[in-house]
Amino acid sequence: MRRLLRPPVALVLIAALGVAAAPIRKIEFTDTRLKNGLRVIIAEDHSAPDFSLVVTYDVGSSNERKGRTGFAHLFEHMMFKGSEAVGQNEHPYLIFMNGGSMNGTTSKDRTLYYETLPANQLDLGLFLEADRMRSLTITKENLDNQRNAVQEERRLGVDNQPYGKTFEAIDELAYENFAYEHSVIGSMDDLNAASMDDVAAFFKMYYAPNNAVVSIVGDVDTKTTLARVEKYFAGIPRQPAPPPVDMTEPPQTAERRLTIEDPLARLSRVDMVFKIPPSSSPDADALSVLATILSSGRSSRFYESIVRQKQLSAGVFASAFETRGPGLFAITATANPGKTLADLQTAIEGEIERVKTAPIEEWEIEKARTSARRSFVNQLQSSLSRAINLGENALFYNDPNRINTRADRIARVNGPDVQRVARQYLVTTGRTVVLTVPKPAAPKGGE
Amino acid sequence: MRSVMAALIVILALAVPSAQQGSTRMVLKGKAPVSSDILKVKLPRPQVADLTNGLHVMVLEDRRLPQIAFTIIIPGAGGYFDPAAKIGLASYTASLMREGTKTRTSAKISETLETMAATLAVSSSLSGPNATVSGSALTENFDKLMDLTADVLLNPAFLPEEWDRFKTRTKAGLVQQRTNPSFLATEMLNRVIFGTHPAGRVSPTVENVDAITPDALAEFHRTHYVPDHAAIAFSGDISLAEARKLLESKLGAWKKGTAPRPAVGDPEAIGPAKVYLIARPGSVQTTLFVGTQSMRRTDPDYAALTVANRVLGGVMGRLFRHLREEKGYTYGIGSRFTATDYRGSWLSSTNVRTDVTEPALRDLLAEIAELRETAVPENELADAKRAIVGSFALELEDPQQVLNYYVDSWLYGLPADYWDTYPARVTAVTAAQAQAAAKKYWATDRLQIVAVGDATKVADILRKQGTLELYDAEGRPMK
Repeated sequence: MRRLLRPPVALVLIAALGVAAAPIRKIEFTDTRLKNGLRVIIAEDHSAPDFSLVVTYDVGSSNERKGRTGFAHLFEHMMFKGSEAVGQNEHPYLIFMNGGSMNGTTSKDRTLYYETLPANQLDLGLFLEADRMRSLTITKENLDNQRNAVQEERRLGVDNQPYGKTFEAIDELAYENFAYEHSVIGSMDDLNAASMDDVAAFFKMYYAPNNAVVSIVGDVDTKTTLARVEKYFAGIPRQPAPPPVDMTEPPQTAERRLTIEDPLARLSRVDMVFKIPPSSSPDADALSVLATILSSGRSSRFYESIVRQKQLSAGVFASAFETRGPGLFAITATANPGKTLADLQTAIEGEIERVKTAPIEEWEIEKARTSARRSFVNQLQSSLSRAINLGENALFYNDPNRINTRADRIARVNGPDVQRVARQYLVTTGRTVVLTVPKPAAPKGGE
Repeated sequence: MRSVMAALIVILALAVPSAQQGSTRMVLKGKAPVSSDILKVKLPRPQVADLTNGLHVMVLEDRRLPQIAFTIIIPGAGGYFDPAAKIGLASYTASLMREGTKTRTSAKISETLETMAATLAVSSSLSGPNATVSGSALTENFDKLMDLTADVLLNPAFLPEEWDRFKTRTKAGLVQQRTNPSFLATEMLNRVIFGTHPAGRVSPTVENVDAITPDALAEFHRTHYVPDHAAIAFSGDISLAEARKLLESKLGAWKKGTAPRPAVGDPEAIGPAKVYLIARPGSVQTTLFVGTQSMRRTDPDYAALTVANRVLGGVMGRLFRHLREEKGYTYGIGSRFTATDYRGSWLSSTNVRTDVTEPALRDLLAEIAELRETAVPENELADAKRAIVGSFALELEDPQQVLNYYVDSWLYGLPADYWDTYPARVTAVTAAQAQAAAKKYWATDRLQIVAVGDATKVADILRKQGTLELYDAEGRPMK
């Protein structure tokens, strides 16, 4: 196996509690813009004979307008249906049949496409991505067909799952701004309303080189690769910049509550979300550490107190997911049989109160610090994880190097920081509570 | 550019189209630049040693990153060996080992592990013959992780209060899983394929859980967690010499027992093909499983069935292209099989919206029939084989993944050069061999159909496929 060609560059992360932690090499990359506005990030790593290629487009469901929810994601499906030089489904077929893997994903904030391929198939990956950015084939037949696939995806993931509708209800209640209020998957009615004109206009506006980042990580040569990217992408014309989305959310002044009856659920569940600032905020790292302390692993406060000691729930989860716009600090728990949602909610509130008032222990801070360090090491193992992160950091923060600074930033968070953000954001007036309770199904189940 | 791509190839719909919707066949224009070389990848081989207590040691040294992972495999400690009235015993023994030792509480174990961002898990399936203890940590914490591992492996306490807590959580899970259509389908299919063989176990009952005591857990641990026939595999920032030293200092107390090599056997031959429907009122989809018994891992047909299955149910295989891409019946569909030291299972599964249950099942069965009846065209066969062989390049990112291949070799007694010659064996599979495997394993009278959905809407449709048995979500027969 080939070794790293480059000597490791010392990025000295703070060694936890004096334990001799080896310095971990940082990720080196080039960051270039083609004349048509396409941003290209390349990170060489010759430790395995493969590479990942990611194209991140600056469009997600937050760019959708009323009456067209689900469109960004429906469009993602269209991207596999062929382009001028690539037949229907030829793209995924060629990737998988050459030992690669690929997919696309859509979130509220972006749409991205990736390929991981054996090192000798760089041209294949770049050709396929460039051809669809240049010349996507848009037909009524493809649109109808993918509309069906997406509606099936919705049935599978939302309509046929216990708590499926809960996810949608939370965002609808917590957000007032349409950008984040509606779900990525969209409504059945809106999916049915999507027209050929919508698809064509969306493609022209958002799938332009100046609205995308290409990131490549792995067993490639930077200079050669950049030349290949030029060859395949440089001829794709730039388009006018899409209109910016107003993400502002009016301040919430009172608690919001909703109870949903769910015929597919058997256990009651509470979802509690609090408004937090976008991930670019200086408070984001402390909020991330707060989520770790409350709910990461079995040493977390929620687990030890609510799952193990009080036995009110099989799992209580807290998260502060990365968002470009106003975010949510989300807490989710399912009540054990025979336990009430009221007791469960009281227990969760008790732990939130404790984090605000009683000191955070040093080992809890160290846990967050080591965990960030280990995540960074894991990213160094996966070319895909690095490529996605470089692309998103470029798009969200105009700072691909954030991948190298996260562990340091987390290491700088201390106990008082965590308490401060808990006191500032985990407040009753800023929260939304959705209770999901089982609805007894119709008594007759058979024929 | 590869010659097979030079022409415009249109892969036509293979079964009789039901044609309510526009078709979107796959079209290969052949213009994309594909490198004709299959990247020759040589998997690095682990170094091995055998210790006097019977433990087999495998080390895949890889200094790229400062972390180390390990897995201990303990044959005989899996749910395969549970008594019928105590299904779950092995699995819960494994889970409880982590819930406290003679000197460490469960909470302390969690705190120590998570402060190091290390992992440690003891697990055993309900049906397989082995238990595993696995973990990973940054190099600087690995010594401490092994201290903890030894304690969990050798000195678990099985405290009654921990068992009570665990039991409460487990019972909640037993309720919750019955809302999940895939669980219901898996439970039924395994029962039908494996009968009373341990491989058919998917979930214990509440009665099973109540029959298990802390003493039974401790006894299972004492008699089954022996190193006599076990192996430990390390990957990452460690050498064989370092691993041996670590094992001597941390696991020296793990003494050889007198356990005979645990014996496993094949399940009974599969029963007559039938259709099983589990009523799930309110379901907007039908979950469809078609399955049967497969083979042992050492079966000479293994490569041929791997290739045939790749053509049928692999990513972008025929089922996906036809039922998802062409017909839009489903979000996902595929097929897979397991093969261990006894006959495993083959399974194709999908979820379709209720009103297309009939054509979706018909098309699924037609695709299977096509592989039985017609040889796979050469281009498609070559593509499937290249897909299998080419994916090795990607797996080299993760040393643990590579090591897993050698763990399989050890478990099933595969030849030392098995993985070196595997690509050649796959490449050598002919269309006739793939078809013969399809005929043998996917014969109509072996295929069991399981559906979960709204019985009022799909029972009559399913009855057309054969003898129908109807059950409720608790697994009880209904009329």
